[in-house]
Amino acid sequence: MTAWHLDPEAIRRYARGAAPPDLAASAEAHLMTCPACRDAIAPHVDSRRVEAIWHEVVDRVDAPRPSWPERVLARLGAGEATARLVAATPTLRGPWLLGIAAVLALAAWAGQVDERLLRMFLVAAPLGPLAGVAVAFAGGLDLTREIGIATPYPGLRLLLIRTAAVLAATVPIVAAAGLALPGSRWLAAAWLLPTAGLTCAALALTARVTPVVAVGVVATAWVLVTTPAAIAGHPDLAFGAGAQICWLAVAIGGGAWLAVTRHTVTIKLGRGA
Amino acid sequence: MTVRVQGATKSFGRTTALDSVDLDAGHGVTGLLGPNGAGKTTLLRIIATVLAPDRGTVTLLGCDPSRPDDRTRIRERLGYLPQDAGFHRGFTVFEFVDYVAILKQLTDRRARHDEVRRVIELTGLASVSAKRIRALSGGMRRRVGLAQALLGDPDLLVLDEPTVGLDPEQRLRFREMISQAGEGRTVVLSSHQTEDIAALCTRIALFHQGRVRFTGTPAELTAQAAGRVWAGSERSAAALAAWRTGDGTFRNVGDPPAGAELIPPTLEDAYLLLMGEPGLEVTHS
Repeated sequence: MTAWHLDPEAIRRYARGAAPPDLAASAEAHLMTCPACRDAIAPHVDSRRVEAIWHEVVDRVDAPRPSWPERVLARLGAGEATARLVAATPTLRGPWLLGIAAVLALAAWAGQVDERLLRMFLVAAPLGPLAGVAVAFAGGLDLTREIGIATPYPGLRLLLIRTAAVLAATVPIVAAAGLALPGSRWLAAAWLLPTAGLTCAALALTARVTPVVAVGVVATAWVLVTTPAAIAGHPDLAFGAGAQICWLAVAIGGGAWLAVTRHTVTIKLGRGA
Repeated sequence: MTVRVQGATKSFGRTTALDSVDLDAGHGVTGLLGPNGAGKTTLLRIIATVLAPDRGTVTLLGCDPSRPDDRTRIRERLGYLPQDAGFHRGFTVFEFVDYVAILKQLTDRRARHDEVRRVIELTGLASVSAKRIRALSGGMRRRVGLAQALLGDPDLLVLDEPTVGLDPEQRLRFREMISQAGEGRTVVLSSHQTEDIAALCTRIALFHQGRVRFTGTPAELTAQAAGRVWAGSERSAAALAAWRTGDGTFRNVGDPPAGAELIPPTLEDAYLLLMGEPGLEVTHS
C-alpha cells in the first residue's frame, strides 16, 4: 500500500491527457498499485476517448500485418487500401514478371547477334507492359473478377491503379533488357513513349471493350504497323524523332480523354457489365 | 419487390441461356432450382449486375441496372457469391475479406476492420482469420465467399450454388447462416439440391433449358406431384423415375405399377415430374 496519493489537479490533468510526460509516467505507475487513486480518477475520464484508444489498440493487435509489398507501397505513400488493391493484381505475381523478363532477355540476346533482331526488340518491348495490363483484368487470371465487378468501386480508378502498378513493375524489366543491347542508349529507350501511347490508347478503348480486348486491338495494330518497318530496316518510321512526338501526343490525348470523360463513361471491366 | 425481372433473354453465341424469363423476389429466400445449364447462373449474374440481358427489363432495389448511376447504387446494397468464386490464395482470410471491403468502398480503416471482423465471426471463421486461403478446405473457402458477400449488411444477397461441394454437416451450417441472412433482407440463391431449396426457400422458380417452368412456394411445387407418387413391390416401366427405397419397396414417380399404393409426394418428386414432362409449365401467384 502506498503512502501518498495523486492530488486533484494532477488527476484532472492526467485524465484530460494534458499531463506532461514525467507526470503522466509517474501517475500511470502509481495508478497501477493504488485503488484509491483509481477510484478518484474514474469520474474524470472521458469514456469515449478511452473507448477510441482501446479500439485502436485492439485493431492494431488483431488486424494481420500487411505483406511486404503492401508495406513498401504504403511507405511510398500509396495508402493501405490502394496497397491492398495493388497486391491483388494478378500480373504482379512472380511467374508473370519472370516470364516477361525471360522473353525480353531472349530478345536482348538476339539483338546482340543480329541487327534486324535488335530492331525487333523495339517492336517487342511495349508488348510486355501491355500484356501485363491485359492479364491484370483477364477473366481466367483475375480470380476475384466476378466479385469485384459486383462492387461499387469505380472501374476507372481500379483500371488506373492496376495499370500504374503493372507499368511500375514491368517498365524497369524492359529497361534493363534494353540496356543490355548494343548501340546507342537512345535506341534502348526508344520504346518508352510508344509504350505510354499504346497504354493510354488501350485505356481509352475500355469505354467500349474490355481491357483484354482493348490491349489486343492496340497490340495487334502496333505489331502490324511496326514489324514491316523494322524488318525493312526503317525503324525511324516507328521510333524516330517524328514518331516519338506522335506517341507523346497519343499518350497525352488518351490521358486527357480519360480525364475529361471520367464521370460519364463506364469502364467495361467485364463482358456486359 | 426487391428484384423484378421481366422477359429477360440472354444468349451466348448460338446458345440461348435465358429465354424470356420473369422473376419477382421480395424479402425472404427465393430459390432458383434446376439442373446444370438450365440458366440459373446466367439469371443470378444478371441480378448481380455482372451481366446485362440482351432483351427484357430488370429492376433491382427500385433501380435500373442498365443506368451507370443506378448500377452503382445497386452495388452499394448488394452482396454476391459467384458459383466459382475465386480467391487470392496468398491472402489470409482477413486480408481477402478486407480487400473486398475496400472494393465495397468501406473507406475508414477502423470501421472497415470492424465490419470484416463481424462477418468473419458471423460465418464461423474467427479461428482461421489469420490463415492463408490456400490452406483452407473447400467448405471453409465457401464460408469466406459468404463472409465477403455479407459485408456492409446488404439488402440484396445473391448466392450461386452456395452449398455445392460441402459435406452434410457443412451444408447444415450453411443453411443456418443463409436462413439467418434471409431475415429482413432479400436472398436469391440457386441450387440443384432439392433438399436445400425445401429447407431454405419461401419461394421457388424452377428452371429448365433457359425457361421458368414453375414459380410458387415449396408446398405448391410439392402439390404438383399429388396423386403421382406410388409405393409398390415392383418398378413401373412407365414411371418417370423409380427406385428401391430403404424398406425394400419401390418408389414410382409418374404412372403406377399394378397394386401400388398412393403415397404423399416430396419436393423432389415434383421436381422430377416437372423436369420429365416437357409440356408442363405452371406458375403460381
